[in-house]
Amino acid sequence: MEVERLPRGRHGLSREYVARNQRERVLAALAECLYERGFAATTISMISRRAGVSKGDFYKQFESKDACFLQAYDDAVAQFHEGTVAACEGEKEWAAGVLAALAALLDLLASRPPQARLVLVEGLRVGKGVYDRYQEALLAFVSHLRAGAPAPAGAVSPPAATDEAVVGGIASLLSRRVAAGEVEQLPDFLPQVAEFALAPYLGAAEARRIISER
Amino acid sequence: MRSRAQGAQEGSARPEISREFIAVHKRRRIMDAIAELSAEQGYDATKIGDIVRRAGVARKTLYDNFDGKEEVFLSAFDAAYEEVTRRVEGACAAAEGDWDERLAAGLAALLGYVAERPAMARMCLIEALSATPAAKERYEDALGAFVGLTGRIVPRDERLPETIDETVVGGVAWIVYQKVRRGEAARAEELLPELTEFMTAPYLGAAAADRTRI
Repeated sequence: MEVERLPRGRHGLSREYVARNQRERVLAALAECLYERGFAATTISMISRRAGVSKGDFYKQFESKDACFLQAYDDAVAQFHEGTVAACEGEKEWAAGVLAALAALLDLLASRPPQARLVLVEGLRVGKGVYDRYQEALLAFVSHLRAGAPAPAGAVSPPAATDEAVVGGIASLLSRRVAAGEVEQLPDFLPQVAEFALAPYLGAAEARRIISER
Repeated sequence: MRSRAQGAQEGSARPEISREFIAVHKRRRIMDAIAELSAEQGYDATKIGDIVRRAGVARKTLYDNFDGKEEVFLSAFDAAYEEVTRRVEGACAAAEGDWDERLAAGLAALLGYVAERPAMARMCLIEALSATPAAKERYEDALGAFVGLTGRIVPRDERLPETIDETVVGGVAWIVYQKVRRGEAARAEELLPELTEFMTAPYLGAAAADRTRI
């Protein structure tokens, strides 16, 4: 994985650096194995081999394939979430922020197909409490979308479930497209998902104007 | 399910068909049992022994009718899906008035089913996602069928995103999923007003914009 993590708390010991580096490699290897062959067919030996670590080293990091999988899932969600939120921080207008966030999310997903598939498709097939994590991740996006959304005014007044339905609807579309092997084309969907997200709050005409100006 | 209807009609009059009626009835009890059990304790934790005990049938009866647990699950899903589709399409066709009335009637029929059969709804909307790959595929196909059904009802508008039906249906599915997940399936019909508004808004918005432009 191209993202280099900051040290967590303790510093300086090169053995820890090595361990952390191994951990990252194992998590990336798991996502890649799942991407290629699915969860059931992925073994700890395969993950270790791909990560270039021994099975013993694998077990120093994770007690089981499930534990490694859940950690990889959480990490991938955190990276997508952080990247998305960071993208809208510079924007003053709510709509511009939503647009920037969606653009960043689609680019991030497209640039990391194994992680995109892990979060949106393969992970959900595994079960094991992953849906709790998926739901939590979506709710985090909902609260960002809701923050600063224009208050219902005049003709445009979105129903109460709008924030959640918008996020759930986009997630459903992305998941279907990733499952269909179109992960690298996700950025092409930006105008469509942006209109779906903005129109309930701004009306279709205003949403289209903002999107076309980008 | 042709045989069930036949049995129901003629069963009381003719003993040899009454046996068939009993067989169909047992099949249904087995399918209901897996829905209840997987809703209560999850698919993985549900054993054949639990299913036959809950259904009040002999183990042999289950194996006379099904290959095993997965086939029971998939058959239950298929039966539920058939029933929901029949009700939703029937409601859409029977609704008086414009496309938005038909959409609302279909949605009401769907939520009505969820409220009436909470365990089956939970099985189809939650357990199916992670039970087995074939079950997840059934779920995806069903979602796709609802996207198609929606697309046949709503007005065509080329300015709307190509993916609008997919995102709208995905959003509705997500809201219903969360309701069921909170254990509130029996109150699914509460969602009708806001989901109707959410579903119709994109297509209404386009119609309204048309009028303004003229």
